[in-house]
Amino acid sequence: MISVTRDDFDVNAVIDRVRRADMGALVTFLGVVRDDGIEEMELEAYEEVAVKELETIRDQAFAEFPIGAVEIIHRIGRLRVGEDILLIVVGAGHRKEAFDACEYILERIKHSVPIWKKEIGKDGERWVPGESFGGDP
Amino acid sequence: MLEEMKREMQVRVRAFARLREAIGGDLTLEVPEGATMSRLLAAVGGTSEQAGEALFEENGELRGYVILMHNGRRVRRAEAGTLTLADGDEVALFPPVAGG
Repeated sequence: MISVTRDDFDVNAVIDRVRRADMGALVTFLGVVRDDGIEEMELEAYEEVAVKELETIRDQAFAEFPIGAVEIIHRIGRLRVGEDILLIVVGAGHRKEAFDACEYILERIKHSVPIWKKEIGKDGERWVPGESFGGDP
Repeated sequence: MLEEMKREMQVRVRAFARLREAIGGDLTLEVPEGATMSRLLAAVGGTSEQAGEALFEENGELRGYVILMHNGRRVRRAEAGTLTLADGDEVALFPPVAGG
């Protein structure tokens, strides 16, 4: 399942939804709001396009790696330090493809999914700069 | 000979992150039928001083960090001058993404 949501998620419940008898590896990436001297983070998305882009990334992960399942949940809205932002679960027969596919999905998300973060601290606010330059596709 | 009436069309403009803040939120703009993406961008820039400064360099070039989408698809900057819009289209403007 792919989702962009304001709601928190239960990591174990998502893993249980993914797991199957033929999967020897379930690699999980959990991104959380880091304490960089900030108090909160505001996440904003172009939701319809973000969901479509996540679906494309999932489909490409299936095309490139011998994996059995992918779940991606990206939260938006206002999140405090320590709260969950992103969950990726990849289920596969073996660990290597599960790790590789999970990293591939994460890097693609950072590069192309229209989501932005603003750090909010005592001294003010700052938009987190994107890792990929605007420019042309 | 009758002068042809100049028809207008409505284009929805969505802006995100710091461009949303500069432009002041989503807009619905009326532009002449057959207007290009560049024409629309000029209209968005004309809505306020802040919007104009966020979108354009002093020489009038679109700023390097502005990413363009037309109905959910990325548009190359070089295409902006020739891409014609239609009534009801959605254009999105945003800076480089920073999710994950």
